[in-house]
Amino acid sequence: MSETLLRIEKLSAGYGPVPVLFDVDLTVGRGEIVALVGSNGAGKTTLLRAVSRVIKAEGTLEFDGADLLPLPPEAAFMRGLVQVPEGRQLFGKMTVEENLRMGAFRRKDKSGLNESFERVYELFPRLKERRRQLAGNMSGGEQQMCAMGRALMAAPKLLLIDEMSLGLAPVVVDQLLEVLTDIRSQGVTVLLVEQDVFAAFSVADRGYVMETGRVVGEGSIAELQNDPAVREAYLGA
Amino acid sequence: MLLAQILTNGVLLGGLYGLMALGMALVWGVLNIVNLAHGAMIMLGGYAVYYLFAGLGVDPFLALPIATLGMFVFGYLLQRFVLNLVVRSAMLNTLLITFGLNVVITYLAQLAFSADFRTINPGYAGSNIAVFGITVPLVNFAAFAIAIVLAGAIWLLLNKMPLGRAIRATSQNLIAARLYGVNPRQLYAVTFGIGAALAGAAGGLYGTIAHLTPYIGASLTAKSFVIAIIGGLSNPFGVILGGIFVGVAESLTALYFGPTYSDVISFGLLVVVLIVRPARALRTA
Repeated sequence: MSETLLRIEKLSAGYGPVPVLFDVDLTVGRGEIVALVGSNGAGKTTLLRAVSRVIKAEGTLEFDGADLLPLPPEAAFMRGLVQVPEGRQLFGKMTVEENLRMGAFRRKDKSGLNESFERVYELFPRLKERRRQLAGNMSGGEQQMCAMGRALMAAPKLLLIDEMSLGLAPVVVDQLLEVLTDIRSQGVTVLLVEQDVFAAFSVADRGYVMETGRVVGEGSIAELQNDPAVREAYLGA
Repeated sequence: MLLAQILTNGVLLGGLYGLMALGMALVWGVLNIVNLAHGAMIMLGGYAVYYLFAGLGVDPFLALPIATLGMFVFGYLLQRFVLNLVVRSAMLNTLLITFGLNVVITYLAQLAFSADFRTINPGYAGSNIAVFGITVPLVNFAAFAIAIVLAGAIWLLLNKMPLGRAIRATSQNLIAARLYGVNPRQLYAVTFGIGAALAGAAGGLYGTIAHLTPYIGASLTAKSFVIAIIGGLSNPFGVILGGIFVGVAESLTALYFGPTYSDVISFGLLVVVLIVRPARALRTA
C-alpha cells in the first residue's frame, strides 16, 4: 500500500453520552479509492462526521501527517479534507455555477479556479449545460454531480463521499462511479461510504465493512467478495 | 397636481422607509432574527449624524458614511459577543433579547442625548427644485437616491461577491456552508454589522427630514417589519418597493383622511399582508 493519507486508530465517537463508534481502525492511502460499507445505522456517517471534525471523538485521527482531533471542521477542510454530504446538501436557490463557486470559497488562487471549473465541467458536461439553473430544480443525479463538482472545486486531497448512490437510478450511479475513477486519476483520494455494496466494490481498491459501530471486515475487494460473511450479508450470494 | 405632489412625497419618503427595512430584512433572512432593536439602531445612526453635524460641524451627508461605519462596528460587536449566543435558537428567545436590547438602547440614549427633539438642519435643508410644477425637497431627494444606491450595493454584494454568496449560502444551508469553510459566527457578525450599518445610514437620513427623539425606535422597527414582509427578504429592490408602497399609502391616507391616520394604514397593511402572504413563506433569501 502507498503512503498513508488518512489514519484512524481506536477511534470512538458518539452523540453526547450515546456512543456510536467503538475502536474503529481504518486507513486510506494516497491515490486509493476505499469503500466503507455497511447497513443503515452501522455508524458510517458518524465516522465521517468524526473525521470531518463535526462531532467529538477519541483515539487517533491523522490526516496528511497532522493530528486532526484538536481541529475545528473549518481547519480540517482547509487541509484538503472535503466532504460530499449525504443528501447532497446543495444551495438549492443558487445556480449550479454559484454552488461550484461556494466550493472554492476559501481558495485564494484565481488562476487555479478557472482550471478547476474547466476540470469539473469536463468531468460533468451536464453541469456546464445547466450552470445557470438553480441547483434545487435539477434531477437527483444532476444534483449529485453538482455536489461532487462543488467538492472538487475545493481542491481536495481526500474526498469523503457519503451515500452517493442513494435514490439514484442504476444507470446514473454507473456514470458517477466512472467519474470517480477519473477523479482518482487526477490525484484525488476517495473514501466512498455506501450502502450499495455492489456499486462501491465495483470501483474501490480496498474496503471496510462496518456493523453496529465496529469494523467487522477489511481487505482488498477480492478478499471481501470471497468472505462468506460479507457475501451472505451484503452480496446476497 | 396636489395628487402628483402627494405621490412624489410618498415615493421619496418610501425610498427611505425601504432603506430602514433593508437592514432588518437582511438580518431576518440570513440569521432568522427579527431584530426588535432595529429601530433603536436607526435612532443611534440619526444621533451620530446629529452630533457630528451640530457638535463638530461636519456636513450631514459627509457625516453619514462615518455614522454608517460606526454602526457597522456596533452591529458586528453586538452579534459577535451577544446575539451569537442565541442565533438559530427559538424565535421567542431572539425576540426577547432584541426587545431587551431595544429598551436598553432607548433608555441609554435618553440618558446620553436627553429627550429633547433634535433635527439635523443644514443650510440647504429647505431647498427645493421644481419639476413640472411639483416641488421636490432636495434633502428628501438625496435620501431617496442614497436608499436606491445602497439597495443596489446590497444587491451587488449578495449576488456578485464571494462574501454575499457565502451569506446567501449560509441562509440556505448552514450545514453545507460550514462544510465548505464558512465560519458562521464570523459571517453572522458581518451580516448583522451590515444590517446595523444600513440602519445607521437610514437614521442619518431620517434625521435630516424628521425629528429625532430617543423613542422613535419602536415605531420605526414596526414600520420596517411591515415593509420587510411586503417586500420579501431576498431582493433588496423588493424591500425598497415595499417601502415606496407604504410611503405612498401613508401619504394618500394623510391627504384623504388626515395625517393622524397614516400609522393606521401602515399597520392595517401589515394585517392584510400577513393574511395574504404568511410570514413563514418568506425565508427564501
